[in-house]
Amino acid sequence: MSNQESANSETAKPEAADSDNRAPVLSVRRLSTCFRTDRGEVTAVDDVSFELSAGETLGIVGESGCGKSVTSKSIMRLLPKRNSFLKPQSEIMFDGQDLAKLSDREMRAIRGNRIAMIFQEPMTSLNPVFTVGWQLDEALKYHTKLNRTERWDRVIEMLDTVELPNPHRRALEYPHQLSGGMRQRVMIAMALCCDPEVLIADEPTTALDVTIQSQILRLMDNLKKKLNTAIILITHDLGVIAQSADRVLVMYAGRVVEMGSVHDIFHNPKHPYTEALLKSIPKAGPKNHGQKLPTIDGIVPSLYDLPIGCRFYDRCDHRQDLCMGTEPKLEQHVNDRTVRCHYPVGGEDS
Amino acid sequence: MNFGFLQTRTARKFLRNKLALGASFIIAIYFVFAALVMCGLITLPQTEERIGPKHIPGFYGHARPEVRLEQVASYFEKVEIALDSTSPEATLAEIKFGELRVANKSLEELRQIVDDGWVFYDELTEQENLDVSPNVIPMIEKFEQKKAELFAPMTDFQATKQMIYLSLGTDRQGRSIALRAIYSIKVAFQIGAVTSLISVLMGSFLGAAAAFFGGWVDHVVIWLYSTFSSVPNLVLLVVLAYTFSGTMFDGTLVPVYVSFCMTFWIGPCRVIRGETLKIKELEYVHAARAMGFNRVYILLRHIIPNTAHLMLVNFSLLFIGAIKSEVILSFLGLGVKKGPSWGIMISQAKSEVITGYFWQIGTATIFMVGLVLAFNILTDALQDILDPKHV
Repeated sequence: MSNQESANSETAKPEAADSDNRAPVLSVRRLSTCFRTDRGEVTAVDDVSFELSAGETLGIVGESGCGKSVTSKSIMRLLPKRNSFLKPQSEIMFDGQDLAKLSDREMRAIRGNRIAMIFQEPMTSLNPVFTVGWQLDEALKYHTKLNRTERWDRVIEMLDTVELPNPHRRALEYPHQLSGGMRQRVMIAMALCCDPEVLIADEPTTALDVTIQSQILRLMDNLKKKLNTAIILITHDLGVIAQSADRVLVMYAGRVVEMGSVHDIFHNPKHPYTEALLKSIPKAGPKNHGQKLPTIDGIVPSLYDLPIGCRFYDRCDHRQDLCMGTEPKLEQHVNDRTVRCHYPVGGEDS
Repeated sequence: MNFGFLQTRTARKFLRNKLALGASFIIAIYFVFAALVMCGLITLPQTEERIGPKHIPGFYGHARPEVRLEQVASYFEKVEIALDSTSPEATLAEIKFGELRVANKSLEELRQIVDDGWVFYDELTEQENLDVSPNVIPMIEKFEQKKAELFAPMTDFQATKQMIYLSLGTDRQGRSIALRAIYSIKVAFQIGAVTSLISVLMGSFLGAAAAFFGGWVDHVVIWLYSTFSSVPNLVLLVVLAYTFSGTMFDGTLVPVYVSFCMTFWIGPCRVIRGETLKIKELEYVHAARAMGFNRVYILLRHIIPNTAHLMLVNFSLLFIGAIKSEVILSFLGLGVKKGPSWGIMISQAKSEVITGYFWQIGTATIFMVGLVLAFNILTDALQDILDPKHV
């Protein structure tokens, strides 16, 4: 392993001793991302806050356009400057620095090196004209001071870590010679080769079939335990969340609507949206045979024309008069849960 | 020597492709000639030196006694003029028909041979129906023997050389067409390689940068290429070529290079810009940014290599385009100024064609078509071969 990891663990140790819980590596506070468009300014991510500790997986769920990917790209500062900006109150604290205020040059030293990202499409995430090994090597060349042979050893080691069979041969192959699952393994190897503290996985398994999906998720789980990396797992697949997340953040129309441990969210959803989402998972078994799959009626409100009250009002089964006029605040519940609802559903917290 | 590279996938695919092999063989031959010219192993005789007086190609001449007769007579004419001049020895010594030199005989002897020759000539011209009469051919052969007496005997090597010089005939000034056509290969390669290389590189980098950085860079590049492409290509070439006349670059190939590069970069620029607009939204470019690479690095190492196939195609298209444009420009008298080129040859041949002397224009055209065709086939084959997805 490189020197960097040992350096990181040294800095992390005193903090860990101070608090009984693990100290957050990344804490996002009041993140708001706005886009300038022809029809005016829209706030795609509105006042999102969360904390992430080492070795923890935070799942972010929500339907298309709810701001999941924009959140991750805001953290990485990958959004085009020309038409987007973070609101000034946004804070992305990472290792004592506010990423929202770093210069491009400082940000480049962090990207890929300390915060890495895996993309959705393994088919197009690798450059088709270079070998897999070359691309891994490139990342190391850019971020570390290792020499050529050390780098190559590390490339092979990483490919071996992600359980790619025959890494010596595969490293010399081009992306089109690998299957989708193999490419996603390579992407993970690439993301992890500089020992990042935070790994953002933006729908890492969407393009894969189910068996490969579970293999990849298990691999990410194992690596997380081994390398103590914090993972932000962005997906719209609740099955993926159930398998690998520790905590879940549910987003709706740019807002956090509910956050809690994966157990609480799945067994005792408090926000009507979460409840409806969980209901609309198809269930197997003879009991459900011939039954209509419950869905959430209506569509997500347009970001150009948001309601004054609760953003879920139009589609909510539990709506009341209060919901239309005033937007609920994010309220703290027991067990480190937060819910944005005037009338939370579900039973008492267990 | 290590022949390991022949075992690679690309090499095997190349060796299996017969068209590509054939085309590259033809290009190799052209290239060898170009290299020989460049090394000075094939040199052009001085402009005033004639290989032979108005020769027609060997394969064509023997069919027509009338033409053959005229051709032999012109040698006699030349020697007779020299004999009649004020200083016969000096003038005779100056006569060089390629490898042919006037025989080392006394003036009287030479005069005698010339007179004998004219007797044959008169006899032959008095014949009616020269083309069909049966005893004409032996008489022409005797006439040609007289011509041979006039000149010093050649060694086998010299004779072969002379045969090659005359193999495709001469132009009106008696210059060897074969030699001029071969010499022009060098000019064609020079213009093709220099202009296509520069304009493809220039166009690609401008196009890729415009698309990748957007904003004012994009505006400037688009403004530039729409301005250049709104002027008719040939008019711009003519204007630029004129601009250079009279400067220190007049007479060199520099005006041609500059004028071609200034108009040719537009094609690759537009194509690569479009491709980059597509590529920059692909996930691997986002992934590269997420790896923390800076934008210039991403442009050079991730985007430009992915447009290599387009650069290759554009290179060959422009190579061919440059050769063809050189021909047009030289035809108009604005291109190559010194030395021959296929364009100059075609331009000079325009008056010959009317009188039936087709070999100059024919040779230049066939040489050009051969190179252009071979290049097209090779590029097409290379595209398949270099595409890793193509099995």
